[in-house]
Amino acid sequence: MKNEMAHRHGPDQDDPWIRAAQEARLSKAWETPGGWRYWSSVNNSEVGIWYIVTAFGFMLFAGVLGLLIRTQLAVPDNEFLSAETYNQVFTLHGTAMMFLFAVPIFEAVAILILPALLGTRDLPFPRLSAFGYWCFLIGGVFVCGSIFFNAAPSGGWFMYPPLTTKQGGIGADIWLLGLSFIEVASIAAAVELIVGVLKCRPPGMHINLTPLYGWYVLIVGGMILFAFPPLIAGDFLFEMERAFDWPFFDPERGGDPLLWQHLFWIFGHPEVYIIFLPSIALLAMIVPTFAGRPIAGYSWIVLSALGTGFLSFGLWVHHMFATGLPSISLGFFSAASEAVAIPTGIQIFVFIATLMLGKVVRSVPMLFALGALAIFVAGGLTGVMVAVAPFDFQAHDSYFIVAHLHYTLFGGMLFPLVAGIYYYYPLMTGYMMSRRLGVWAFWLMFAGFNICFLPMHLTGMLGMPRRVFTYPGDLGWNTLNLVSTIGAFVFAAGFLVFVFDALRPKSHAEKASRNPWKAGTVEWALELPPGAWGARTIPHIESRYPAWDDHSFMRRYDEGRFYLPDAEEGRREALVTSVLDAQPVQCMRVAGPTWITLATALCLAGVFIFATYHWWTATFISGLLTLCSIVYWLWTGTGEHPEKDEKAIGMGMTAPLYISGPRATGWWAMFITMTGDLTAFLGLIFGYFFFWTVHDQFPPPDIDGPGWTWPLAAGLLLCGSWVLTYGARLWNARGDMLLFRMALLAAVLLALAGIGALVMGPLAHRMDPTAHAYPAIVWALVLWTGAHAAAGVIMQLYCLAASFAGRLTPKYDTDIWNVALYWHFMAFTAFATTLVIGGFPLVS
Amino acid sequence: MTDHLQKEVKRETGEGTDLWRVILAPTIWAVHFLVCYVAAAIYCEKAGRMADLLPVRLIVGTATFIALAGLAAVFISLWKVRGLSSVNDDYNYAGNTPEERHRFLSHVALMLCVLSGVAILYAAFPALVLEVCR
Repeated sequence: MKNEMAHRHGPDQDDPWIRAAQEARLSKAWETPGGWRYWSSVNNSEVGIWYIVTAFGFMLFAGVLGLLIRTQLAVPDNEFLSAETYNQVFTLHGTAMMFLFAVPIFEAVAILILPALLGTRDLPFPRLSAFGYWCFLIGGVFVCGSIFFNAAPSGGWFMYPPLTTKQGGIGADIWLLGLSFIEVASIAAAVELIVGVLKCRPPGMHINLTPLYGWYVLIVGGMILFAFPPLIAGDFLFEMERAFDWPFFDPERGGDPLLWQHLFWIFGHPEVYIIFLPSIALLAMIVPTFAGRPIAGYSWIVLSALGTGFLSFGLWVHHMFATGLPSISLGFFSAASEAVAIPTGIQIFVFIATLMLGKVVRSVPMLFALGALAIFVAGGLTGVMVAVAPFDFQAHDSYFIVAHLHYTLFGGMLFPLVAGIYYYYPLMTGYMMSRRLGVWAFWLMFAGFNICFLPMHLTGMLGMPRRVFTYPGDLGWNTLNLVSTIGAFVFAAGFLVFVFDALRPKSHAEKASRNPWKAGTVEWALELPPGAWGARTIPHIESRYPAWDDHSFMRRYDEGRFYLPDAEEGRREALVTSVLDAQPVQCMRVAGPTWITLATALCLAGVFIFATYHWWTATFISGLLTLCSIVYWLWTGTGEHPEKDEKAIGMGMTAPLYISGPRATGWWAMFITMTGDLTAFLGLIFGYFFFWTVHDQFPPPDIDGPGWTWPLAAGLLLCGSWVLTYGARLWNARGDMLLFRMALLAAVLLALAGIGALVMGPLAHRMDPTAHAYPAIVWALVLWTGAHAAAGVIMQLYCLAASFAGRLTPKYDTDIWNVALYWHFMAFTAFATTLVIGGFPLVS
Repeated sequence: MTDHLQKEVKRETGEGTDLWRVILAPTIWAVHFLVCYVAAAIYCEKAGRMADLLPVRLIVGTATFIALAGLAAVFISLWKVRGLSSVNDDYNYAGNTPEERHRFLSHVALMLCVLSGVAILYAAFPALVLEVCR
């Protein structure tokens, strides 16, 4: 009988010796490297912790800058900071809080806890997470460090031209290039997290059983793909103007500063929700636990999070109400800004309903959660006020706005985040944070915050503009400012209590018992402190709160009775499942520790940092090194041929070790990356048509365009290369190797010819990009498309090389699948570019 | 026994709704919003600030009509799923079957239709009250 069981269900999980051996093998496979090799770790539990600590480090730095601001403003006519230093301080305060804390902390927390929430051991691309982290660290240090050399950006955190295009120094370049570099990390995280939620849920976790945090992460990942790329496009145009004098934002030469405002806020407003949603997501995990019941209205949360995600893209112009746009435009955006309050409100009502229906247990995370709701509701209501255009005209650029935005960010982001840290601290460290210190921290923070920011509504109403470094003493602002300053320091004291509690040595602290909050979700099945392997076994999920609903769940989990309880081959493994119903489709071998992520990040940092100083040779060499390290990374770290076709994954099931195409994680990663890339490209196209809208005649009649012949040739050649790449994939699948390689080779040649034809258009017509915005935007499109085609050529050559090396075969064809997918997007880019630059002048 | 069977039959709602269908309604909102905004922005820029808004109001009206008709079509198909899902008045959608997942996604999509409809009406409102580009 026992043998039969073993045959059907794999090893005998009743036998403690077998289980101990499994745990030893798992432990070995997932072991964290020791000594200095620790920094080559890529596992989410290490990278996540680094990420969180680093983001909080930048937060403390930016917080000190905030205190400097408040010190300067405490009394009228203060000379504590000079005007120039003050400009740098407030710019860096906003920049660091937004780009180095608020967005990265989402990625950090998600990387750390998402695998646990999905009952798995790691995210699908651990090396990508590590690479993103190193980009973030290096870029952040570079941006923040600039203030110690009196070289920090000083044009405000949204860098409006023409001030910032005319400014000397390298402050604005540091902002542009440093942050572009960090955006790489954000997009890497978006890829990782979207694929994680869609493809790495445990078997049985249908999409309606996914933890709400997973839903939020999925939605926010999607939002990043549509919000960040327009800023990358904007940064590209901006830096071309600063470095090479291409006049995109210079009205004297046909440019328009408003284009930057559009591109910035198409990013900037959704970004507010990119920050807000994942923090609210933490509340969606915390509230049910302390209410002791499932969330009331799971589907309502999902729909309102989705609705918020969409509507948040219709709000960007409400940051531009005072720029003189037609009233009907203001009306549309005002309407959407009011509409977004509906789904946001639904989420808050769901939390309140859950608390009312349950029996609430008092705890520090709950205290912060309730404080968050109170503050956020106040911030949301002033948001509805400033969404009304006539009110905004009055409050614009005043301290009322400063108060509003801090209320939304503290209530919508910081307080929920701190609640989340208190809640998940035992899961990460195995220790509890102090309840007494937590209560102290909360009341100091809550009171300090309100003492600081509540008076600012009034200061703003009394007319104090933001971003002034001092003010005269006879305007009635003195007391309010002094009170705000006192509040800021009270808040800082509270925050330090929290930081102290989190970092203090824990030898005398309370050890966390297992599932200390009596939660129902799967992450609390982990033993505390968790072993390096994370989940003992990847569970089979049948409900949203397995720990509450199934009393045998923990026992079966501990006994490894679900999936992958072992690491027979000593490899790190995870399950890939189908998108909607989470059926196992692959047993994926996950990458282990490596230095290549750090090396690649260092090379890429060279590109951005050297470009800041216009050291073009060094920039070029760094670019080449980046390319080499990426190719090395791909060649050594991906597309491995497994030693067998499939393996038993437990619960009587087997799964293949290798899959390619739309079922595989790599294909999804390419699809998601290219969706983001496409959005950036559409940002550039938007620029072209924006110029057409604001000019009486565009293209201007006295400036020669690229003609239609060269663009047509380029479009045909590049699309030909796409067809051949697609054909190559099919021929490879059929096993026709000769035809496959010939097609790829021809595709390379066509693409190279296409790049040549593309450049010949503006070159042959002597278009000077510094003369006017029209040639500049044409050249920008040509550069973008040409660079993408060049990347496509490298991919085609990679496949060719892989084919000759025997790595790419009809059976193991993931590389050509992904490259063909890249070329679908490439073909669209080429088609749109050539149609716009070659075709549009003929019809306009 | 017959009761039980009837219940099972009644719960047969298919498995068709996927994530693309869920985001259909907000996508209709997005397209409507962009059409209205782009039409108004281009028209007012080209025709001048004192120009009569009538062409834009017509475009907004037409776009709103089409968008709401599209939403209604989506709504009706999803409403059927909801009608069939009502067993034990349970709208928790917490079951672990593909069918329950389908009912859940259909419910989310249905409610998103309502939200998108409200947002579309909001967006159309300025075109009702404004008469010139100013």
